[in-house]
Amino acid sequence: MSSHVYPKEKEIFPGLQLEKVDDRIMTLNVGPQHPGSGHMRIILKVDGDYIVHCDPDPGYVHRGEEKMAEYRNYITNIPHLERPVIHDSCNILYPYCLGVEELLGLEVPERAKYLRVIAAELNRCVYTQYWLAIYGIFLGHSTMFMWPMGDRELVIDLLDKMTGARVTHAYFVPGGVRNDLPPNFEDVCLRQVNYFEKRLKEYADIFYDNPILISRTKDTGILSREDAIKLGTTGSVLRASGVDFDIRKKEPYDVYEELDFQTNVLKEGDSYARSKIPWLDMFESCRIIRDALKKMPKSGSVRVKLKPNPKGGDTEVYRRVESGRGSLGMHIISRGKPQPYRLKISVGSFRNLIAMPHLLTGEMLGNMPAVYWSLNYWPVEADR
Amino acid sequence: MSVIAPKFRLGYLIKGITDNIFWIIVLMTLIGIPVVQIVLIYIDFPVIDGEIWNPFRVFDAMTHPERALPLVKNFMQTDLFKIVAFPGFGFAALIAAAVIFVERKMLAKLQLRVGPFYCGKVEGILQLMGDGLKLISKEIIIPAKADKPIFWAVPVLFAATAGAFVALIPVAPGWVVADIDLGLLAVFAVIGFFPIITVLAGWSSNSKFPFIGGIRALYQMVSFEIPLILSLLGIVMLTGTLNLSEIVESQVNFPWIIFMPIGAIVFFICILAELERIPFDLPEAESEIVAGWLTELSGMMYGLVQLGSYLKLYAFAGLFVVLFLGGWNGPWVFPIEPIAEVITDGIVIMPDALVIKDIPGLPLFAGEMINGTIWFVLKTAAVIFFILLPRGVFPRVRIDLLLKIGWYKLIVLAFVNIFIALALVYSGIIGPGGIM
Amino acid sequence: MSSADSTEIVKTDDSSLTSDLDKSLSDSISKKFSNVEIAYVKPDRIRVNVKKEEIIAVASFIRDELHFDHAESVGGVDYPEDKQIEVVYHLGSYTDPSLSKHILALATRAPREDVPRPGNDSTILPSLRDIFPSVSFHERECFEMLGVYFDGHPDNRRLLLPEDWADIPPLRKDFRIKGR
Repeated sequence: MSSHVYPKEKEIFPGLQLEKVDDRIMTLNVGPQHPGSGHMRIILKVDGDYIVHCDPDPGYVHRGEEKMAEYRNYITNIPHLERPVIHDSCNILYPYCLGVEELLGLEVPERAKYLRVIAAELNRCVYTQYWLAIYGIFLGHSTMFMWPMGDRELVIDLLDKMTGARVTHAYFVPGGVRNDLPPNFEDVCLRQVNYFEKRLKEYADIFYDNPILISRTKDTGILSREDAIKLGTTGSVLRASGVDFDIRKKEPYDVYEELDFQTNVLKEGDSYARSKIPWLDMFESCRIIRDALKKMPKSGSVRVKLKPNPKGGDTEVYRRVESGRGSLGMHIISRGKPQPYRLKISVGSFRNLIAMPHLLTGEMLGNMPAVYWSLNYWPVEADR
Repeated sequence: MSVIAPKFRLGYLIKGITDNIFWIIVLMTLIGIPVVQIVLIYIDFPVIDGEIWNPFRVFDAMTHPERALPLVKNFMQTDLFKIVAFPGFGFAALIAAAVIFVERKMLAKLQLRVGPFYCGKVEGILQLMGDGLKLISKEIIIPAKADKPIFWAVPVLFAATAGAFVALIPVAPGWVVADIDLGLLAVFAVIGFFPIITVLAGWSSNSKFPFIGGIRALYQMVSFEIPLILSLLGIVMLTGTLNLSEIVESQVNFPWIIFMPIGAIVFFICILAELERIPFDLPEAESEIVAGWLTELSGMMYGLVQLGSYLKLYAFAGLFVVLFLGGWNGPWVFPIEPIAEVITDGIVIMPDALVIKDIPGLPLFAGEMINGTIWFVLKTAAVIFFILLPRGVFPRVRIDLLLKIGWYKLIVLAFVNIFIALALVYSGIIGPGGIM
Repeated sequence: MSSADSTEIVKTDDSSLTSDLDKSLSDSISKKFSNVEIAYVKPDRIRVNVKKEEIIAVASFIRDELHFDHAESVGGVDYPEDKQIEVVYHLGSYTDPSLSKHILALATRAPREDVPRPGNDSTILPSLRDIFPSVSFHERECFEMLGVYFDGHPDNRRLLLPEDWADIPPLRKDFRIKGR
């Protein structure tokens, strides 16, 4: 795995020995109270400026979502399940709702499907902007911290109008969405999304085309196509390594197969490509939103009525969607009770975490933030 | 229970105020007046007009402008005034404070936010004062295993070294704290102290991240000092002097940046690296090594280091102005005529009633000095603006790229600059027979 | 539409929707391994139950012959009444475009002890880390959450739980949340 080679211990002169390898190694605790870590700890061993060992230590925000879900009904699970990633709360509820609908045999109305797609794509933009802002400040680019944070408000404003909440929306319910759109939403949405897309293009000038950024992130932390597949990475990390895999295309759920968008794939597999893919995906999100607004049925019901305390059968489902961080799967085992017997959440962050020791070993310490955050890793979601 | 003034009564307030007044009077009479008397015994008073001045005459003179003005003028020629107030610390600290405010507002505008806004009613103008008060009132925490004497000394050393650097910068003709013949060499000597101080800070705090930051600062500063010194060799060749004031005087007709733009660019990049400004703020890289060598500093220790770094920023910008932009030289903007009228006609306060006339020593400052200071401050502000601007535009570079820039590119460019200077001298464009 | 009858037990096998590919995948597994039980074949979802002695061989077959190359998730389920703990590997494929919709659930069961001593009791399963490197962190999580020791995994340490966790593995059914 490591490209770094230890200097050999040898005698230069009789009696005079080079220092031992262990003397050269310094252990650094990056996190949990470190501005460059997030809610996690990375135990680094550095030899000079090179990282020779990396041991990620998540779990500082572990909340036991899976255990909590076993004690709550299918409906009451909704608000707490979106807590692991509040910026992407629609996408983390998406597989749950799809799975519960499959368990209960519900048919979602057509308009609700479009509303779900719009909410999910807006949420993907919110999450990606937040992620991008932190990527900017990790590289010491304070303007790139402020701009996405400010432009994120545009999308949050739309979601606020749509769902009534700024971050934790609890908008998706099994059988549709919670409420219909407010009047005039389509016009406002189109206008703000268009402006948002215009702002996104300006990020290229200040961030993605910046020569210092390119020299810092190009050819650092290269994840080859084979390794990306072998390590089971997902989402932007996988697509930056040249694997064309987007669940919205490969296993379309709801109305994604009727919408017009493309998958962004880059061949390089370095930090630059990994940081660029989510940004490119936001353009596709804008495209999807515009297309969905056009194709959406203008009226109709947005949710099916549920019986109180619906019970699932004696079966299990595994549904997955493409979230902001890649594949987000939920394995729901039902045993005829109003509560799930077991709910396993498989998140993209956790799966991308496996690539972190692989990528960081052999890198320079200065590359640590650039590589670490390019993994599109959200510590809270990984801990669940 | 956190309630502000839980038992507030007006009587308590008045009682507290009268208590304070009582104690002030008691302490003044018991301690203050004896101290003043003892001090007065040992102070030498100036001899003016053949008689020794005592404190009462000083107080008397203060109320009388005819006597006060020569005193003030006299005082302004002392070293104390130069060090504390005008070309020295006070002036530099004022510019540094303005720089911090402008930096925050400018960066905020660049990033589509408002910046400091509430403190001081007008656009947050008192924010810096608030920050300073906060830093002073904060507890100073020393790491348990720190090397305490060195750790305490570091902020003081840093601010003092920056102050020493400020002392070498000539602001106006004759207005420089230390006008030494080897001024430029003294600058290099003072700059050479900064890496030592940062390494001491990193080492004495006995912590990993400050240590990495100190080492980074060491090799960043050392590797950029070489192109910094080399880029100034051309000017020394052309002017034939190391005295900064003489270097400024040599640029009466044109600034050196016209002939040596390459040297100016190299010097500017080296300034950024020496100042640890973005994009070269590796010793304080937040996402990698917390705050670098400043990590363990707290309270006013941190404040002193910040003060020192902004003094250093002013001094480097001033050095750039002195060396490349012609220092205080500039077109005459200072209106001299009204002052001449005042000297001849006096100040008319009320028509026919009170005319203060023939005040000795009224032009407190020479016109050249005020004009030079205006130009110096304007040019310095422009240079500081360009030093601050990259913070909003660039991310941080990596350490290997930084060293590559320093060792491979800047040194080569500095040598190119030296050859340009040699060519100018030997072709006779500059020098005896040339345009100078 | 009404969903009044939606709480009835749903059909587990809708043979009309399953494609030929699903069928051929399950057939090839059952042809090769006689002991393997195909639990269900739903559209794009296949579940295979294997004995823990056979799981390495079945997993290698799935990787090499059926081209499933990564693990989507590894979840453990506690069945106290059966005295067993089940571990389900959801395997997917990036390399084979025809399989990109498919998830193959590979389930195996380990004996469960009433008084768990994670790592020192009989709740041991062979690790699939050598076959699918992507399961390494998932198996660590499964070890701390359910006390299933993965034999052959080089890094059977805690991942998410605090270092001083002294209770039984929390996802077992006899670990009750306070007040519930």
